[in-house]
Amino acid sequence: MFQKLRTILSKVDADYADIRYEIKKESSIVFEGKELTQISANSTDGFVLRVLKRGGFSSIAFTKGSDGEKAVRTAVENALLISKNINRPVALSKAETVRGTFLLDLEEDPRQIPIDEKLDLTRRYNGLPLKHEKIATTTIGYAEIVREKYFLNTEGTEIREDLVTTRVGGVITSRDGDLIQSVRVGLGGSQGFGVLRDQEEEFENKTSIALKLLKAKPVEGGTYNVILNPSIAGVFTHEAFGHFSEADLIEDSPTMREKMQIGAVLGNEALSIMDDPTMPGQLGFYQFDDEGVKARATRLLKNGVLVGRLHSRRTAQAFGEPLSGHCVAEDYRYAPIIRMGNIFIEPGTESFDEILSRLGNGLYLVDHMGGQTSGENFTFGAQYGYRVENGRLGEMVRDVNVSGNLYRTLKNMVAVGNDLVLSKTGGCGKGQINIRSCNGAPHVLVNEVVIGGR
Amino acid sequence: MEKLLEIASKKTDQAEIYSLDETSDEIRFEDGKLKDIESKSQSGISLRMIKEGKLGFAYTKNLINPEETLQNAFASLKGGVEAPFSLPLTRLDLPLKTYDPSIEGLSNADIVEECKRVCDIIAPKTKGQVNLSAGRKIVRIRLINSQGTDLSSTSSFYFLGTEILYPGSYSSIHRGLIGKRFIQADNEYTNFLLDMYNPSGREVEPRGGKMKVLFLPESMYVLIWRVESATSGRNIHLKVSPIMGKLGEKVFDEKLTIFDDPLNDPVPGARGFDDEGVPCRTFSIIEKGVVANFYYDLNYATKMGVESTGHGYKASMWGGETVSFKPSPSLEHLYIRTGSKSFPELVRSIEKGIIVAGAMGAHSGNIQNGDFSIGLSPGLYVEKGEILGHVKDAMIAGNVFDVMKNVVDLENAYHPAPTGTFPAVLFENVSVATRSNGQ
Repeated sequence: MFQKLRTILSKVDADYADIRYEIKKESSIVFEGKELTQISANSTDGFVLRVLKRGGFSSIAFTKGSDGEKAVRTAVENALLISKNINRPVALSKAETVRGTFLLDLEEDPRQIPIDEKLDLTRRYNGLPLKHEKIATTTIGYAEIVREKYFLNTEGTEIREDLVTTRVGGVITSRDGDLIQSVRVGLGGSQGFGVLRDQEEEFENKTSIALKLLKAKPVEGGTYNVILNPSIAGVFTHEAFGHFSEADLIEDSPTMREKMQIGAVLGNEALSIMDDPTMPGQLGFYQFDDEGVKARATRLLKNGVLVGRLHSRRTAQAFGEPLSGHCVAEDYRYAPIIRMGNIFIEPGTESFDEILSRLGNGLYLVDHMGGQTSGENFTFGAQYGYRVENGRLGEMVRDVNVSGNLYRTLKNMVAVGNDLVLSKTGGCGKGQINIRSCNGAPHVLVNEVVIGGR
Repeated sequence: MEKLLEIASKKTDQAEIYSLDETSDEIRFEDGKLKDIESKSQSGISLRMIKEGKLGFAYTKNLINPEETLQNAFASLKGGVEAPFSLPLTRLDLPLKTYDPSIEGLSNADIVEECKRVCDIIAPKTKGQVNLSAGRKIVRIRLINSQGTDLSSTSSFYFLGTEILYPGSYSSIHRGLIGKRFIQADNEYTNFLLDMYNPSGREVEPRGGKMKVLFLPESMYVLIWRVESATSGRNIHLKVSPIMGKLGEKVFDEKLTIFDDPLNDPVPGARGFDDEGVPCRTFSIIEKGVVANFYYDLNYATKMGVESTGHGYKASMWGGETVSFKPSPSLEHLYIRTGSKSFPELVRSIEKGIIVAGAMGAHSGNIQNGDFSIGLSPGLYVEKGEILGHVKDAMIAGNVFDVMKNVVDLENAYHPAPTGTFPAVLFENVSVATRSNGQ
């Protein structure tokens, strides 16, 4: 394959070019209630070519190898069109030349496990919630996505790396009359099939939550002091703060850049945040990004002060900051963009009980249901919560959605627990989906949060 | 393709091949300057086969190895997914006008010039940052099956999206423009953006509480997702729709009529057949507040003992590789019937309320139950018919089966928006939470 890629790159007349070819192997099993609705194993492939010429940087994604020459022409034309229309030419930060093959040691390679075994496992987990009368249905599936990547650039880098992602999970839906409640369940990772075994307890716990939600009361909208559990604090870190550490999101926003200057005091002293794709075993693990740059642990916030940022070669040059190896694509259909790999709040010293008693009165919010940011403001959903009175957990509440201002909330994160947990499934949508987006946190106490209720 | 179908048909009872070719160019401007051009040329094939009531499914991008694709489909057949339905024999007489050949002559340089022109009109008249994206796309679909169906469709798309951003955020006033061919943005288009943005620059902190809320077409998808979920044949079959069993009952305000119109070919992307070869038709979902129909693909229709309504599409909520999806019930051409008021009249009729110009967190919350709870991004505050500023840290929340019972009025014009073509819709008595809460 590298020979074919070399041939395509050799036709490019430009200052820099790179090409990535990927084979994507997907296995999918889906149950809706008791019924199996999908079982398939397929492979797809494609190329992404990027060209830098006279300061114009452009990309093209194409399916057919025979379209290579046409793709080269289009990408060069587009780069020249950009070059004619910009004031500040694009340049790339200097990256080390790398040659090598980087394959993983997996805990059971899912490619070697027969599909029947995957089907049995999924059927068993799916059966657990369905034993209960008030569970209306489930959508529970197995997903295995393998990216076999070949990367080549005109500077001599040649990298062959595989990324293997496995997951079992979905939604458990309970129903009582007209009231319908859903709870997400999911486990998986980058380490192979082994991590999916012996997880019955997780499915039983989530089933029990779905049933309890039928009796929970909707939370009343208003402003509360809250404890976020690791799942929801992790999503907050990703959504509200993490995205603005992605240099491509702020590069062309003068007002955002002003706020996100290195050295700016953004958060409470208790708060330090890191992104480390190289941490072994976690969902977001990779060695080289889709520009062929080595991934490195990047500290973003240190005791409330902004100290680093996530970069591509283009933005590292534009900001005059070090490379971080965070430019990643969903698959062969996309040019890479800056993504978080594994972002988390670094653990503090307090136990959950200590944080509960510091809260006194308020809400304890558990597990995320997705989130979104628009810069200064963010919103995310909690699966459920509990009222907290005098430092004790009280009744369960549902329909909890949180909205807030990033900077105010970072300053109001007054206590960080000692119990860091990283996420096992991901799905960040920033134009492309990143299923390996890992985030985490310990329990965190936040003052004055707006809760939307319903 | 024909050969693959022939082999697949010989070894099974029924077979179908769907092929998709897409080429596109997208140009992005940030802060009034050209940032990026991305081109794509993608193709793919998916194969469904039915044997003894079981389904086999496979897909691929390059048909380099048809044998492997066939083997994948046969392996999938062994899994035992039930396929109670039969593939249709469909012949269509009247082709829709979905393709304008002038799209081929439209160069990226032409689109860059249009973006510059729009920036030059807007940027001098506002303090906000202006971002644009524009481009074109050509989509070719062909569907053949063992019953003799051979359908194809070619669609051309031009699009322009413009946004004016609030400082320090990605919250913006935004609007799209779409066509089957290049359309020059006119004054009405640019003035809407300026007239919404410029008076709303100030941050305001109104008290929360129940008030009138005007959803722009761009944020109606928050409510529409819930309506789509409640009327989907899949969710009716799974018994997770709060309005199952309520066909013919009034669940919304009588001013609301929601329909699917795949045949409306002045709008780009019209379709005469769905992704399973079932003919499309104009189709009412909600008629004057009454539940008119649930929508089905072949699979769920057969399970429920009804006919497919022509809504089997290879679609997903989050994008992804089209050929990798099996058809499922999906509303791809949704409209909300317009009302009688012009947009400025609607705004003037608000004594105290919020305009939802963008939403955050539409995907969180209990969609199946109809609940929503969104951050306003931005929400514009209106008092005595005047936009006074934009609200920070505010949320609106409710359940569509409460909120959509209280429609005050609808705008008299259609706009392209996420998930459909909608007017702005004014509701009353919606719960708004802010930092200075009135609740």
